[in-house]
Amino acid sequence: MTHTPLTIGFARLSDVATIAAAKERGTFEAFGLDVTLTRFQSWAALRDALGTGAIDAAHMLSPMVVASAAGLGPYPGAFTSAFTLNLNGNAITVSNSLFSAMQKAAPEAMAHLPLTASPLAAVINIRHLLKQPPLTFAHVYPHSMHAYELRYWLSAAGIDPDKDVRLVVSPPSHVLDALSIGEIDGYCVGEPWNTAAYESGVGRTLITSGEIWSNGPEKMLAVRREFADTKHETHLQLLQALLTSAAWVDQPENRLAAANIVSGPAYTGMGMDKVAASLTGENRQTAGRIRVDMPDFNVFHRYAANFPWRSHAIWILSQMVRWGEAPPDTDYAEVASRAFQPDIFREAALPLGYACPTIDLKVEGAHTVPWLMTDATSPIAFGPDRFMDGRIFDPTDVDTYLAGFDIRARESRLAPIDEVQSSELAK
Amino acid sequence: MKSTGASDDRDPLRQAGESRPAAAAVPLRVLIIDDDLDRARQVEDGLSGHAAVHLATSIHGRPLLDLIASVQPDVIIMDCNSPDRDTIESLRLVAQSNPKPIVMFVEEEGSDQMTAAIEAGVSAYVIDGLTPKRVRPLIQTAIARFKVMDGLQSELRKTRDDLAARKVIERAKGLLMQRQGMTEEQAFKAMRDMSQKQGKPLKSVAENVIAILDMIGDKQDTEGT
Repeated sequence: MTHTPLTIGFARLSDVATIAAAKERGTFEAFGLDVTLTRFQSWAALRDALGTGAIDAAHMLSPMVVASAAGLGPYPGAFTSAFTLNLNGNAITVSNSLFSAMQKAAPEAMAHLPLTASPLAAVINIRHLLKQPPLTFAHVYPHSMHAYELRYWLSAAGIDPDKDVRLVVSPPSHVLDALSIGEIDGYCVGEPWNTAAYESGVGRTLITSGEIWSNGPEKMLAVRREFADTKHETHLQLLQALLTSAAWVDQPENRLAAANIVSGPAYTGMGMDKVAASLTGENRQTAGRIRVDMPDFNVFHRYAANFPWRSHAIWILSQMVRWGEAPPDTDYAEVASRAFQPDIFREAALPLGYACPTIDLKVEGAHTVPWLMTDATSPIAFGPDRFMDGRIFDPTDVDTYLAGFDIRARESRLAPIDEVQSSELAK
Repeated sequence: MKSTGASDDRDPLRQAGESRPAAAAVPLRVLIIDDDLDRARQVEDGLSGHAAVHLATSIHGRPLLDLIASVQPDVIIMDCNSPDRDTIESLRLVAQSNPKPIVMFVEEEGSDQMTAAIEAGVSAYVIDGLTPKRVRPLIQTAIARFKVMDGLQSELRKTRDDLAARKVIERAKGLLMQRQGMTEEQAFKAMRDMSQKQGKPLKSVAENVIAILDMIGDKQDTEGT
């Protein structure tokens, strides 16, 4: 049988595991695909490659898909996704000196896990009194879960991310050096860059993204809408291969083997000592302690993780509105329907025998413990979906949700790069 | 050294009596972001005598943003595959500071896709095969294109909800049509060109047009193009 050629772009991060394992273990071939993988150095280059057809699919930040669907950035409406590659997986890490300062400023608060940003707020207040410059935190891209998680965590402790600290975008491969020489004071990035900071003695991880929002979406498999429309069968083959691979990667007994693949030079090239801790969820350092067991640090398949929840898209969009990146009159449901495609997911998953949710939206934040999803073709075990501050997100009433936040952008930070015809002025 | 060597002959403001000196004395500020020092020097050579060139080699993230803030480059030149692209993107995606025209280059052959990517709206230009001779014209093209695609859009975005600004532009256009005998399209194009040449927002160009045409009153009625 002839295999359909397909090119997938990816970034140098541990959560490429499902794609990497599908390639290395012959899963793509088994589903009739001849897949070439291409590694990119920046999200912008990956996005351009997908937008112009240089690649067919991409390991993409979930907010980049939502941004495109919302018409933000240079490829408005071009991207869509029917597959969540993983949940959780990021963490916030600070320099050793900031960690000590937090311990000194608020020793009691530092003892409570998950760690809030209130010790950091105490440090910021002291620095403010001493007229010291604001602390700088790095993340990887304006439209990223890293940015929204960092902003959520900071603002939950009363720190305005646009006023009280400086946020900068930095290549993940540089954040470790930047932290060690004091260029930045902390960052929110994916793995292996948090573990690497601890392993090389330059920083401490404070909190993982799964503790900020349990089981929030991280990377998606993005394709062009035109690809989804015209190459439907190939798209389904790709999703089925990834589902099969994700189910394998997610098994605890396979995580070391997956880490071994991901640590290879073609993927992260980072070595098992930096990759294994996050992929196995064992021996993770967080908030100054070794957390022996964080099995949900990376979720690749369990909890119907691969299902592209439109409520996830709407939460991401709510953060874009909260921080002034999208207009307040955004039509949430409409953008979400362009961004995530649960129907295509079901079409791929059901023939393979995977249970699927029968709904596209769920209230986020209501479950603090594991629960059973019954709005599904058969009941599915789900992990918690709590937010660190206990808020409930109703995807059908975003305005009320956003009105509950004191800290938010009061004016638009929209970039003027959407397509506007210059002839409009000539009218 | 002029930043645009454009002739003012067809500038309706000149015809209307404007004698504004071109913003010519300030050299073009160029920032080259490239970890490959030899390649960066090649670009610098191509610009010698025509621009104030700053090199950003092996600096990333925060110090790179600080450098951009202090240099305030007119154009940024960088590799398409640079890991610093997302840092530069952050200047564009979220309007915390002014976006800059960006010239991007790719080294390898068969870069059609990246060319297409850039033409799709990244507001940048590709140099494949960096010869010093090609650097300067490409930068000029990129800046001109940026000002049309990005600067005007950005101006439009700001003025779209600002009726006052819009009225100023409308009024200036009307005056140019009435006094200079231009068509609506010519009047708009004239102001847009001035906006590009002077690097000024359309609104301030329109204000100049109104001020000057008001000042010279009806005397120039017959001098339209």
